[in-house]
Amino acid sequence: MVKIVPTPDWFLGKDILIEAFSFIVLIVFCVLAVRAYKLKKNKGLLYLGLGFGMIALAQIASILTKTILYYDSAPVQALGNAIISSKILNSVDIFYYTGFFFQRFLTLLGLFTIYRLPQKKVISGDYLLIVYFVLLSALLSQKLFYLFHVTAFILLVLIVVNYSMIYRKNGFANTKILIVAFSILAAGQLVYLLSRVSVFFAVGSLAELVSYTLLLVLMIRILKHGEKKRSHGDNIRHVGNNPRKRR
Amino acid sequence: MEIISDMLGIIREKGGSIKPTHLMYKANLSHKQMKLYLDDLIERKLVAKEDGKNGNRIIITNQGRDFIVHYSRMREFEKTFGL
Repeated sequence: MVKIVPTPDWFLGKDILIEAFSFIVLIVFCVLAVRAYKLKKNKGLLYLGLGFGMIALAQIASILTKTILYYDSAPVQALGNAIISSKILNSVDIFYYTGFFFQRFLTLLGLFTIYRLPQKKVISGDYLLIVYFVLLSALLSQKLFYLFHVTAFILLVLIVVNYSMIYRKNGFANTKILIVAFSILAAGQLVYLLSRVSVFFAVGSLAELVSYTLLLVLMIRILKHGEKKRSHGDNIRHVGNNPRKRR
Repeated sequence: MEIISDMLGIIREKGGSIKPTHLMYKANLSHKQMKLYLDDLIERKLVAKEDGKNGNRIIITNQGRDFIVHYSRMREFEKTFGL
């Protein structure tokens, strides 16, 4: 195994498993959101799916990069056999930077898309401006590793604030789970800031695992809800005030 | 979509079969609306019409039951994210 990221030795490989788990949860949310959009034609659902999809792709970028760099896999062997010249080392560097750049860029863009959801127009002129700043942040994070975590932390706090406002209105238990999951994810970003001490990298990854487990629980709750039989009077359309006009 | 889901829910609550007039009142629809939505439901094979001794009855199909479950999940999903 080759050690590239500030992962403690005992944690090498386990971080990939956590990212794989996160990817599965994120992709299921993405699929569910797109299916809901197809049925309900609510554009917010489409953007939500897009947001989760981008973060899922970010996980894939990270998993692929780490898998190839951690393990003595065929591409690495091929590189090794091709003699360690400065050119080859540069190509490894480029691979490493490109992989993690996509991970950072897609994560931040996905989080920003989710943050924008409550607004009427998700994609507008200022969205493109933010995409530019997200791109800058992802690029600069190659040298200043904390920049990515600080940006992700800010976006996650904004998402938590958004969902807290929604929770105040709907008092829905599922939204509360969402708030807790995103809060843990935000706290995880703060822990990652200390990842120069390698054990904090593991703690940050574990925070991510807890957060995505909560999102999985949320998913199960949503899917189980559909199987419950609706009780009488649950439907507000049947009790007087019909909000829809008759044709 | 909401009306369709409501109509199917009513039929299911009535044990899977209901008289068209009862459905019309329970779903709070006019006769014209009822006909429109019912034709749509039959076309999508979510319900079927059955001629019985005591007149017509509307029966929910398995597809109709699946639709309710699917729609309910999607509504829960939407509500969770405040969309």
